[in-house]
Amino acid sequence: MPEPDIKDRISLIKHERVLILFSLIGFFILAFIILTLANTILTQVLLDLDGFIKTTRDPSVWDAIFLSAYTAFLATAIAFVSGVPLAYVLARENFIGKGLIEGVIDLPIVIPHTVAGIALLTVFGRHGLIGQFSLLRFVDAVPGIVVAMLFVSAPFLINSAREGFESVDPRLENVARSLGASGWRTFCRITFPLASRHLLTGAIMCWARAVSEFGAVVVIAYHPMIAPTLIYERYISAGLSASRPVSVLLIIFCLVIFVILRILARKR
Amino acid sequence: MKKIVLLLLVCSVITSPISGCIGEKTPSEKVVLKVFHAGSLSKPFEEIENQFEKAHPGVDIQREAAGSVLTVRKITELGKVADVVGVADCSLIPSMMIPEYADWYIEFAKNEIVLAYTDKSRYADEINSDNWYEILRRPDVKFGFSNPNDDPCGYRSQMVIQLAELYYNDPAIYDDLIEKNTAMRMTFENGTYLLVMPGSEDINPNTDRVMIRSMEMELISALENGDIDYYFIYRSVAKQHGEKFVELPPQINLGSVEYKDMYRKIRVKRVTGEISTGKPIVYGITVPKNAPHRDLGIEFVRFVIGEKGQRVLEDLGQPPITPATGNGNFPEELVDLVREG
Repeated sequence: MPEPDIKDRISLIKHERVLILFSLIGFFILAFIILTLANTILTQVLLDLDGFIKTTRDPSVWDAIFLSAYTAFLATAIAFVSGVPLAYVLARENFIGKGLIEGVIDLPIVIPHTVAGIALLTVFGRHGLIGQFSLLRFVDAVPGIVVAMLFVSAPFLINSAREGFESVDPRLENVARSLGASGWRTFCRITFPLASRHLLTGAIMCWARAVSEFGAVVVIAYHPMIAPTLIYERYISAGLSASRPVSVLLIIFCLVIFVILRILARKR
Repeated sequence: MKKIVLLLLVCSVITSPISGCIGEKTPSEKVVLKVFHAGSLSKPFEEIENQFEKAHPGVDIQREAAGSVLTVRKITELGKVADVVGVADCSLIPSMMIPEYADWYIEFAKNEIVLAYTDKSRYADEINSDNWYEILRRPDVKFGFSNPNDDPCGYRSQMVIQLAELYYNDPAIYDDLIEKNTAMRMTFENGTYLLVMPGSEDINPNTDRVMIRSMEMELISALENGDIDYYFIYRSVAKQHGEKFVELPPQINLGSVEYKDMYRKIRVKRVTGEISTGKPIVYGITVPKNAPHRDLGIEFVRFVIGEKGQRVLEDLGQPPITPATGNGNFPEELVDLVREG
């Protein structure tokens, strides 16, 4: 029976053609990203290695980078604890106004970050809606950084988690329920593990978005300085040669964390 | 289905360079004049833009506001080009742009530092030109100023507070308001005061008492929200935003040429090691050497220092310098409006 064999081979070749074409197209976007980042890093390493080494020994640079990583982690944790249940409800239930809620969740992605920062300031400021009752101080303090990061990055986690829960077949849950598992147990043992890759990817994107946030944070909390604020500060007060080594260090730091997290995500 | 997607992709890849070419030709035939300027010039330059565009219908002015130091750096370091540069401290042009990026500048407007507040500010009903520093000393009052490393208004605010010590004969004012709340320090040598600024990340402000932002304009919303009670700002900005303000005595407000010898006693050393000496606030404007539209840029400068531009400045609370003072090799098109400095 040679016929199907040939058909298979033809479709295989066609498939490969698509792959080759897509790889060629994909090369452009990859080249665009790599060129921009590599240019920054290589200019630094080739032209001013001493300045870079000096920066790696500057404790205030590491303070800022670790503060960024830490506050972004807190924002991600809050987004996870409160966003995952919401994502589950959105994935499983249909109700009036659901589209509106989904739109609202996406809103922080589209509004300009300075606007987000000012809006947060009016809520969490000294006389703000929440700020006036709160025991925590938000302006120029760590909680302020966290709420700004949370606001701009939570949508990434919620959307990814919702897709994850949507990809889990409800019939699997029904089987578990019919075998006597409680709703809570079903969620923990069936739904959550099956959606976990989406959840992890969402958490990584959420953290990444939080680390990169500058516009909203700088409005509500200029001090203590996170890495993007420090880079901006060094640029304004001392120029490109002072800010670039910090940028390069942040890029390398994020790259390392990203590669580790992606490897972890793949293993699961 | 696959074929269609593939076809579409290939088509879009092939046609994109062509559509790109078309795109470049379509924008309106107006000449775009780029003006980079200090944040505190936003309102007057907005008004001047309107009037200038009305007088020159073929011109589209695009303004970019930023801190004065950043405004200059965009040209000297980021490789951006502008046709006009206006800064809040004219000395930035000779120190950062001349000779490579400019060879002249014009001093065109003055300003002074005030202490702005709103009705909601604590002790708003008590404060005046004689007791403002006593009010700022109170532990429940929070005040703001911009970062001295980044922004002329920031280092000028520091000068004003130190000058207040001399004027009110109270040697603890800088200590109480700044040193106790930040890592900024004052040293006294040979009859002059040197205020030393740490790195911006090490300023370590006591955020119960002071708020610092990179640029003075970023403090406006904090005042409106009541996050700060008072902040040091240019008189013109306070007026343009409808804020109340305490006028400070001319001996300390950096607005009067008469007291320039007094201002000179204070110097501020920024984190980069650059030192600014106290002097009257004078705004500077120039056309960079690499401006794409040099003649039109000069025309814009003519407008700013001419009668109409000066009226705009005056109306918005910023006293113009009449006639404007030219420095360096300024173009002959401006000779009739400028007094040589």
